[in-house]
Amino acid sequence: MSASEPSVPPLPRAESADIALLLEGTYPYISGGVSSWVHQIITGFPDLRFAVVFLGSRPEDYGPIRYELPPNLVHVEAHYLFDAAERPAQRTLRTDQAAFTHVKALHRYWQEPDNVPAGTDPQALFGAVVDRFDDQLGEAHFLRGDQAWQHLCEQYEERCTDPSFVDYFWTVRTMHAPLWKLKRIADKLIPVKAFHTVSTGYAGLLGAMCKRRHGRSLVLSEHGIYTKERKIDLFGARWIADNRSVLQRDLTELSYFRELWIRFFQGIGRACYESSDQIIALYEANRRRQVADGARGERTSTIPNGIDIARFSPLRALRPDAVPPVLCLIGRVVPIKDVKNFIRALRSVINQMPEAEGWIAGPENEDPAYAEECKLLIASLGLQDRVRFLGFQRLTELLPKVGLVVLSSISEALPLVLLEGFAAGVPAVSTDVGSCRQLIEGLDDADRAIGASGRVVGLADPKALADAAVELLSDPAAWQRASDAGVERVHRYYSLELMLGRYRAVYERALTWQASVSS
Amino acid sequence: MAGIGFELRKLLRRESFAGLFQAYAYAGIISSGPWVLSILGILVIGIISAATVADRHITQFQVSVTYLIMLSLVLTGPIQLSFTRWVADRLFEKRNAMIAPNFLGALLIVVVGSGLLGLLAVATLFPGQTNLYRITFASGLVVMSGIWLSTIFLSGMKQYKTIVALFFIGYGVSVTGAMGLRGLGLEGLLLGFVVGQFVLLAGMLVMVLRALPTQRLIAFEFLQRGAMFTSLIWVGLFYNLGVWADKLVFWAAPEVSQAIIGPLRASVIYDIPAFLAYLAIIPGMAVFLVRIETDFVEYYERFYDAVREGGSLGNIQRLRDEMVFTIRQGLYEILKIQGITVLLVILAAPRVLDWLGISHLYLPLLYLDVVAASLQVVLLGLLNIFFYLDRRRVVFGLTALLLVLNVGLSIITLQLGASFYGYGVALAMMITVFVAMLALESKLHRLEYETFMLQ
Repeated sequence: MSASEPSVPPLPRAESADIALLLEGTYPYISGGVSSWVHQIITGFPDLRFAVVFLGSRPEDYGPIRYELPPNLVHVEAHYLFDAAERPAQRTLRTDQAAFTHVKALHRYWQEPDNVPAGTDPQALFGAVVDRFDDQLGEAHFLRGDQAWQHLCEQYEERCTDPSFVDYFWTVRTMHAPLWKLKRIADKLIPVKAFHTVSTGYAGLLGAMCKRRHGRSLVLSEHGIYTKERKIDLFGARWIADNRSVLQRDLTELSYFRELWIRFFQGIGRACYESSDQIIALYEANRRRQVADGARGERTSTIPNGIDIARFSPLRALRPDAVPPVLCLIGRVVPIKDVKNFIRALRSVINQMPEAEGWIAGPENEDPAYAEECKLLIASLGLQDRVRFLGFQRLTELLPKVGLVVLSSISEALPLVLLEGFAAGVPAVSTDVGSCRQLIEGLDDADRAIGASGRVVGLADPKALADAAVELLSDPAAWQRASDAGVERVHRYYSLELMLGRYRAVYERALTWQASVSS
Repeated sequence: MAGIGFELRKLLRRESFAGLFQAYAYAGIISSGPWVLSILGILVIGIISAATVADRHITQFQVSVTYLIMLSLVLTGPIQLSFTRWVADRLFEKRNAMIAPNFLGALLIVVVGSGLLGLLAVATLFPGQTNLYRITFASGLVVMSGIWLSTIFLSGMKQYKTIVALFFIGYGVSVTGAMGLRGLGLEGLLLGFVVGQFVLLAGMLVMVLRALPTQRLIAFEFLQRGAMFTSLIWVGLFYNLGVWADKLVFWAAPEVSQAIIGPLRASVIYDIPAFLAYLAIIPGMAVFLVRIETDFVEYYERFYDAVREGGSLGNIQRLRDEMVFTIRQGLYEILKIQGITVLLVILAAPRVLDWLGISHLYLPLLYLDVVAASLQVVLLGLLNIFFYLDRRRVVFGLTALLLVLNVGLSIITLQLGASFYGYGVALAMMITVFVAMLALESKLHRLEYETFMLQ
């Protein structure tokens, strides 16, 4: 650090807190849906004192804090899982065979959870390994130990379908490297009354370790499917090798190492599900997927996101009389948002409505290469004058000028921008991902009776996206019906008050939870 | 310049006996040239001066040169391997410009160190000698120390042919110089010898500096903390001391040695067979060079390529097995050729000793010394393999063991009496080779484990 850089205010520190939020690659360093949600939760419970444990990849991957930290966020610590760290001395190590059988048993269980001997207690398996992380199964034994080497070779021979041993070796090393760091973070964490992790993955594993170490309740809120989302890219992409030749490579098939990462996250995800006392999904489909991945049904529930309607409802009065022919994609410029799909659709929209414009409101710095590709695509489609990159925008200023909120993503969970648009009276056109159909068309009968607050189209289908947008923009009556339905739906089902009320119950249960013998 | 392995492989690829013979002859010259030329040079100077210089002075000359060689080797031992390794690492990093200034830095340290020590020695320990002898002795120490540093440096750059050629020229000048100056007696022989050595050093410096780019004159980056491997500093010292230990023990023992000049003592009965024995390891050295630089290095490279570039574990293990096979073959061949050599020496030695005018009393000791020197070639091969596998701690242990054993066992044989002389060094070499083989066995057994898990 050079002296000329602006000084960073120190992170808040406290001796204790009520709830520790365990966050992986999100709040407060990255802005986005999950981070906004976390910010809402913290500001929504001013009577609770929060701690945030931020887990990042490497310090250089993050800029400054993106949020004004609320006063009840009393403690923030940031840890970097793939930061270069002190390595244990370079000498071989004999690992206690008996201790290592626990590792083998845990791996076997994670590989085939349905095919374990009767009476296997997964929590005990997990505990037997993690409790030895400081000595018999310490990091040195993972990196240098004879047993670890033998096990690694056996697993390679038994399971690996990619020939490259060195890639297998480093993939296994890289994915396991953060585990001991997590254990140390869990050991040193300030006393809190409950833990709340907002994903599985490493943060979820940290939750499981914290619960085992401190005997406090663990809440898991999942916004998406960890293994499918960007986290795996964030942590993995730099190392994921694929040694198949052009002929061997089937694009529909994952490379073995990507698969290995996914199975690894499924394994540690299972540890998180088994340790969590309350498991909350955003919507029903995700809850069922959690159960399929190892969550006990009776611990699961759904709480959809809620938005601060009061912030957005005044915007309806600010709207111009005519619907502005503006399609706006609100989100980061990254492949998962399929911005190119949006751009292609715009070409078709502008063919039919030459006055239409496309706006892209969101940071472009996360994947500069992809942002560059998008700009090239715009140029090649001759849309330079019709498409604008706005960067990060204040939604309260943006939404009154927008005719339609568009989501062209290939994956979403429960996108708040749709709800925020609805509250501001802006209907939406979205791909059929995550809970988007539920948000636009309604979930149960009463919800559906409100009517559609926009249109849902197929993935990667720019023509359908364009047609749906033109249909709404060119028919003021249809647009108004959708706008009204959106306002009604967001008031009835997706208010912040509703969400906070349900989370208050969650936190009350967590804070009064007593460790029972069974867990 | 292509490595020696490349040239050897080219000769071997002809697949004819002539090609094979050429390869081994070439390897023999390359690997044994420098010290064969040293031994021969000293002998030749002795023989051709016999008519004009008193025997006593010739002995004094030969003992002085022996001490010069020993002292300069032991003195530069600590820097030889450690500095070569430092250079190799810089070459690997492609930071070639750092090398020449640091070589000059190392040379300066060697020159100043050996110079101070030499001056101190001649000022205090040679009261009866002329100033010319003293100054020549001290300069000889400086020049020869510089030679060893340059030799190991040039071998590190695989410039074997250059080394042999320069030794040939240097010793040629040494012999003619000694011849020309023999009228001055002891001082003349030594001065002539040192002048030749100076030519040798100068030639080496030209070759070193010509081959390397340089921007600065001198640098001492190699002395920075952690720049060189401490273990290699000790290995260099232990190896050179270990090889000379039995001679030093015998020189120090009054019952088998005589004061020759100043503080320098020699043990005629022990030294002559020991130096002659070194002439008998040329075949072993040739085999060693061919086997290590062609077969072993080939599989060694393929093994590490497979490790680095995504070979399957099965393939990595197979190449490890092949590498082990080439090592076994190589060591076995060194043993075979040296076994034959020992038999030949036993058959031919009496006549050779007659021809050289040396007493048959030396025969038993000569046989033992040939065995010891043969085992030293095997040890050299083993140490080289450990260096390739970057197992510096093992080499450290082995050279320390050699030193301790050679000192200890030589002292014991000295106590046991004349019929046991020579068993000390032979046993020391044998035990060290045996331990080295066991260590290699265990290292190779765990090679993949250690290669992967110690990174």
